Amino acid sequence: MIDIRWDAELDCTGLLCPLPVYRTSQAIARLEAGQVLRIECTDPGSLADFPAFARQRGHALLAAQDQGGRQVFLIRKEAA
Amino acid sequence: MGVTTALPGRTNARRRRTGSPLGPDPERRRYGGVRELIAGLRNPTPLVRLNRVAGGVDAYLKLEWMNPFGSIKDRTAHYLLEGLRRRGELDGRELVEATSGNTGIALAALAALEGIPLTVTIPSGVPQEKLVLLRMLGATVMATPDDLCPVDNPRDGAIALARAIADSPAHRGRYAMPNQYASPDNVRAHYETTGPEIWEQTEGRVRTFVAGYGTCGTITGVGRFLKERDPGIRVVAVEPQRGHRLPGLKNLEEAKAPAILDRSVIDDVVRVDDEPAYAMARRLFREEALIVGPSTGAIAHAIAGLEPEGAGLVVGISPDSGHQYASFYASLVEQEGAVP
Repeated sequence: MIDIRWDAELDCTGLLCPLPVYRTSQAIARLEAGQVLRIECTDPGSLADFPAFARQRGHALLAAQDQGGRQVFLIRKEAA
Repeated sequence: MGVTTALPGRTNARRRRTGSPLGPDPERRRYGGVRELIAGLRNPTPLVRLNRVAGGVDAYLKLEWMNPFGSIKDRTAHYLLEGLRRRGELDGRELVEATSGNTGIALAALAALEGIPLTVTIPSGVPQEKLVLLRMLGATVMATPDDLCPVDNPRDGAIALARAIADSPAHRGRYAMPNQYASPDNVRAHYETTGPEIWEQTEGRVRTFVAGYGTCGTITGVGRFLKERDPGIRVVAVEPQRGHRLPGLKNLEEAKAPAILDRSVIDDVVRVDDEPAYAMARRLFREEALIVGPSTGAIAHAIAGLEPEGAGLVVGISPDSGHQYASFYASLVEQEGAVP
């Protein structure tokens, strides 16, 4: 996970679900296809939400990690 | 003396000196501010008889769109804000609320009067006119896609988003959420105003009351008031089908039943499909000259299906007008074909 480079970051710490997914959706809209977004969250619900979100929107969830109460996700925007 | 442009304070000072203030006078329909136009027992919304479309049923629609911000939600928004203020939950906070449009518009108008910032989360499919009105009134609008809450119920994404904004630790209690789906103030608005108005306006002769499932504030508040007056009054709830396109109404199988819903005051639930509701909306426009929103079509369709003898005097709610559904109705008009 450390080896993957990202193009933009989104701090969703202290935000409850579904705000992280909402913010991510907006942030991804601003990226080019192929770019990677790193999202940091503190709501454990995100561990279920982000895989579902990526699947539904057709983006690639490159990594999902839970590190001591902080969840980090890397999502690559795929071409529409 | 010619026209002067005095500052408000100076104008008031002159009025005091001359002793002839032009204060509010509701009898002359002169008001000190738009808020005074919100319906109540002394200023009820009209009951208008359905003379052509009700199929022999003796029915009246209560035109809630005669409220100043355009819908039945003016009452709700007024009571929600008063409730927050009374409980000290409004002090210095911003507002956030989930709404399909009308509550947002009414809240935005009242918040604008008081200089309180408002964020509204809305589900997808809300007509463009409502979005524009919200923005014109200065609200921040967050459109909620149906797949926002992939794990929970997708149709309730807007509610979940508003809840998250209100409760997120990162926002440190900056937001107050009126929460029309759970607030007893929503029910109280209709128990104290809409219900008593219907009782007065029908001189106690209403036998059947018809309203839609939405936040359930109307059906619960009015139903409770009327049942207390006369337990024999029949309360009919109108419910759209799953996957419906009837803004403001809810199918309680696919959406969570609002906490304020009191099923004990409801005698019957009538399921209405989209197409007959739209067809009835069209008839209301063309045969009764009532420019109503689609939910009124659903309610009037349910009324026309009642058995006239058993129903007695019927009052149905017309929650909003058709003016804010031009883009929504455009597809109905297009189906009828081009102008020759």
